[in-house]
Amino acid sequence: MTAQCVHSASGVIEQFVYGELGAPERLELERHVRDCASCRAAVEDLSTLRTALAARPVIDAPPDGDWSGFMTRLRAATEREAGGLDLAGTRGVGVPRRASYVGRPAVARHWARSGVMATAAVLALAATGVTLALWSRVPLTSPGAATARSVAGPPVDEAPADGFEALGEEHLQRSKLVVLGLAAKDPARATSADWMYERALASSLLSDTRMYRMAAEERGLASMAEVMRDLEVVLLQTSFTDARDPAALAQIQRLIQKRDLVGKMDVVGITGL
Amino acid sequence: MGPPDWTLICGAAAGDPAAFQQLVERHRSMVYRVAYQFAGNHQDAEDIAQEVFIKVYKSLHSFRHDAQLSSWLYRIVMNACIDHKRRRVLPGGAAWGPDEDDRMQNIPEEAPGPERRAYAGQLGEVLASQVRRLPAGQRVVFVMRHYEGMKLSEIAGALGLAEGTVKRQLHAAVHRLRQSLTDANVTAGERV
Repeated sequence: MTAQCVHSASGVIEQFVYGELGAPERLELERHVRDCASCRAAVEDLSTLRTALAARPVIDAPPDGDWSGFMTRLRAATEREAGGLDLAGTRGVGVPRRASYVGRPAVARHWARSGVMATAAVLALAATGVTLALWSRVPLTSPGAATARSVAGPPVDEAPADGFEALGEEHLQRSKLVVLGLAAKDPARATSADWMYERALASSLLSDTRMYRMAAEERGLASMAEVMRDLEVVLLQTSFTDARDPAALAQIQRLIQKRDLVGKMDVVGITGL
Repeated sequence: MGPPDWTLICGAAAGDPAAFQQLVERHRSMVYRVAYQFAGNHQDAEDIAQEVFIKVYKSLHSFRHDAQLSSWLYRIVMNACIDHKRRRVLPGGAAWGPDEDDRMQNIPEEAPGPERRAYAGQLGEVLASQVRRLPAGQRVVFVMRHYEGMKLSEIAGALGLAEGTVKRQLHAAVHRLRQSLTDANVTAGERV
């Protein structure tokens, strides 16, 4: 290296080589570099560094591209962390243990800061946790019945109900209210207050929707599971999105349209649950 | 394609393990790549990547929907790299700060220089080993700038440092690496 001039000592050469200078500064430095051996050497060195390092192989996975050990280790770690998520679905139910999940101080602080809707979401999550903790042994009858049973104790030997016929109608109607209500609004004119009702309703429906989805998956009811999955995504987005964001409603509407949720829910309504 | 990141985050935050797994699978290559570039070996890279995703898991509820997931993730990766290095080298050491930045810039290279017989074909290897000898702050800034293409302002924002500090870190890193070129007796004609 030659003796440094003020430019190469200031770090401006790095900005020049990495293309972070504005046009006037870049042109000025180009002129300077032509006449300054120190800066020219700095530019050449940095270019050499970039070229040489760019030629190195990119390592972005464990040896042999085998992630299984990594994922196993991560699953164990997350399970140690407050009950953890079941990454491999090995617990069948696949939800965090509610008490520890909701009870983590950081999470609790977050929810405390997040206002009414977040509280509603926590309540929904708590309801889900209570209900689903025993889900593998609870035949689905209705959200209310399932919750009541799980609180009272696990109904181990009950025969599965015939399906969804006896339940879901109210859930379905309320879900339609949310979806149709959201789809009908003009995103260019609607304020956050205009879809506050749908957001509140979406939060209250989340846990039951997830339960229906899991029950449908468990029973191999693919179409039903798909509708519930799509509905769950829309409800999630509606519940958690920032209503003050002017683009939020349009984004939810695109999601509804993309998943043809209005049409799917009509079909579900015709065939019945 | 698949559901957008923030849908997965919402799902994971609400307790859906499949959503979290999908989130991990989608971003683990980037995380591992940065961790490996920083650490230079698989064992440390995996440790760092594990720390990153555990941190993500614990922070799902604090993700702001108006934020970019990639920025959030980069911030966690960078801090995990620095924390990992600090735990390895300076157990109980001082917190990261501008003072440390200044000290780093003036610390002479203690490790032996690269092998004199470096030539064009080996230059990348020599430089990579020199990158791994940089102090943690300089190294993470260099990796994020050089390998990941982040702007100084983005690195500064992610690390919570002033842009000028990041600029000095990058300059110090480049200065050391340039010195290693000189030590390696690499001439312009030999450079790759």
